[in-house]
Amino acid sequence: MRTHTSALSRRRLLGLGAAAAAGAALSACGGPAPQQGGGGDASLRLLTPIFDRADGQKLLTSLLADFKKDHPGVSVQVDYTEYGKLNEKLATSIVGGQPYDVMLMGVGWIPPFVEKGVLADLGTSRSELESTYNPRVVEPGIYEGGTYGRPILLDTRIGIYRKDILAEAGIGAPPKDMTELMEMGKELTVREGGKLTRAGVDILSNDLRQTYLPVMWAHGGDLFADGKPVFDSDEAVEALQWMVDVIRTEKIEDYGFTQKGAVVAPLIQGRAAMMIGHNDMWRQASESAPELIEEDRIGGFMLNQRRPALFQGGTLATMSAKTKHPEQAKALVEYLSGEKVSPQAAEQRGNIPAVLSAADSEYVRGNKLISFAVDNLDHAFSEGGVPAWLEIREEFKPALESALLGKSSPADSLRGLAETAEAIIAKGA
Amino acid sequence: MSADQLSAPGTAQAPAPVARRSARPPLTRRLPRLALHLVLITVSLAMAVPFFWMIITSLKTDPDLASHPPGLLPRVWDWANYPEALEYAPFGTYFRNSLLISIGHTALNLVMASMAGYALARIPFRGSTVVFMGVLATMMIPTYTKIVPQYLIAKGVPFFGGNDYLGRGGHGWLDSWWGLIIPGALTPFAIFLFRQFYLSLPRELEEAARIDGMGEFGIYARVMTPLVKPAIATVGLLTFESSWNNFLWPLIITSDTELRVIQVGLSAFQQADQNAWAYLMAGTTLATVPMVALFLLAQRYFVQGFANSGIK
Repeated sequence: MRTHTSALSRRRLLGLGAAAAAGAALSACGGPAPQQGGGGDASLRLLTPIFDRADGQKLLTSLLADFKKDHPGVSVQVDYTEYGKLNEKLATSIVGGQPYDVMLMGVGWIPPFVEKGVLADLGTSRSELESTYNPRVVEPGIYEGGTYGRPILLDTRIGIYRKDILAEAGIGAPPKDMTELMEMGKELTVREGGKLTRAGVDILSNDLRQTYLPVMWAHGGDLFADGKPVFDSDEAVEALQWMVDVIRTEKIEDYGFTQKGAVVAPLIQGRAAMMIGHNDMWRQASESAPELIEEDRIGGFMLNQRRPALFQGGTLATMSAKTKHPEQAKALVEYLSGEKVSPQAAEQRGNIPAVLSAADSEYVRGNKLISFAVDNLDHAFSEGGVPAWLEIREEFKPALESALLGKSSPADSLRGLAETAEAIIAKGA
Repeated sequence: MSADQLSAPGTAQAPAPVARRSARPPLTRRLPRLALHLVLITVSLAMAVPFFWMIITSLKTDPDLASHPPGLLPRVWDWANYPEALEYAPFGTYFRNSLLISIGHTALNLVMASMAGYALARIPFRGSTVVFMGVLATMMIPTYTKIVPQYLIAKGVPFFGGNDYLGRGGHGWLDSWWGLIIPGALTPFAIFLFRQFYLSLPRELEEAARIDGMGEFGIYARVMTPLVKPAIATVGLLTFESSWNNFLWPLIITSDTELRVIQVGLSAFQQADQNAWAYLMAGTTLATVPMVALFLLAQRYFVQGFANSGIK
């Protein structure tokens, strides 16, 4: 999900971590199997970027008390952190030779840490996992045939629209594809004296990369093929051109109209008719404008051009390759990603439970954006896929901004981005 | 004092108002001062507005925060944001920890940096310039590049946390008050500031003390240091502020919630998907109170400190 960005620190620390990893602290590449150890008593260290608030800590404490009932000899020492500083915590613990036994991390993080020999193969087959989770949800935890992470919760980026604003304009249904989205956006944009008062489509409230990627996937583009960047393909360029058209050609939204992290998204305020956004918009509406929920004025739609697509992030449970208690650590990973913890963890964070069994829960069905995402997980795509992803992803924003600000063409921006990515991959090879 | 008494001097000195008027500088001379005040008032307002905005935001409800255009004052003054924000994390523990660490850093920095600054300014020794340049050079190392080496050093401290004499086998200063306080206990900037102050003191004072038979430590502690109060206030305030606001190092070096600090608590309001703005502002307002109080107490010396050291 977190694709939480702390560009400078992350890049530097990861670099330092990688350098130190070349020494004694880390073993060679390849994700070694954990050291063998029997069951019985163990003291495990768990690093978690979720459950960090007081209510989350209380919930986790109670969940771990239940875990202890089934594993009486196992104690768990929890280190709470936040996603923004997760990489620093991981890097320092690894180079310090004190890795955690169990680590929760985001989608896209598995390949880098597997390559550094940090994560253990959980030894669970894909088919086994697919009995508990949607196959698309399983995908981010699998790397080069091994299963290194089990999903706990998910978040998505989808199309979101204001039913009342579309109805006022005589539009009865949300857009079926990106072309229609553009047309509707033009129609629903309102300017007063040249000043934008309502954006037809808001593409700026979300992290720019996380907006671009589902648009790219919907246009048929991909991030990598055989470990090489292909996000400068014709389809990918077409996707970025679509975004450039929203801002520069059709002037459906002005650059600077809003930004990621704004107090409230324009859609909630009625200053946008549609948006590409986070499923968390439902929670934001329920707190800031509850009438939108009560009067059923918000709905979701799929981004679709050559194929339907939604962006899927998430938090996965992983096990250290260095743990001295692999059996107990694996049990904890399975417990945290299991049918008991996953729904409660997701609800505490306002996110989507990863387990299939929660798909019809009251919580999921009571949140129409989450239930929309759950119903469409078959079309989910996740970012990442190469060990250098955490570095490469930081390069997206400047490249996308360059195109959106008209400093370079979409094709040039993406070509430059792909070249940078190739250089980063080559450096790490 | 009665009204009669108040009016009496004026009655006795009838020409006084005229004299006062004539003593006032002409308008042309007052204009630049007036303009200066106008500029200063504008700048002060610009500095104060974010602070007031933080307090006002901390008292708004979610619908109020969502309104567009944003209102200046809350429609409903939601004081409950404060107690609710305090429930997000164990702020009592975090506050206590931040206070202890900040006081520890400040006390140690004042003692050690003043000694180092004094030595560099007043005691001639071979290589003092090189040492001073070395101190200045350490100010130029970016914090992030120091995190991993500093972590490894803290982990490898001998005889602590189960370590042997070579610093192996245990966790050293990780997850301990030692690790939280010692690495930030001496700052090069404080040494630099003290040196500048000690340099500005007249040599005659030192010589007189020496003639009277005072030793070097006595000259430092009883003659020179009492004369650099602005430097003490400045270093004290800056160290406390920097320590109070420190986030990354306490987060990295601790895993026990009982050792976490207030800035880590504030981060609970900021998650990638959602920011609890009203709570964040309420928590930040509370976290700012000690710093504001400290500044108000020490502001006179603080301003002198910067003016005298030539840092503006």
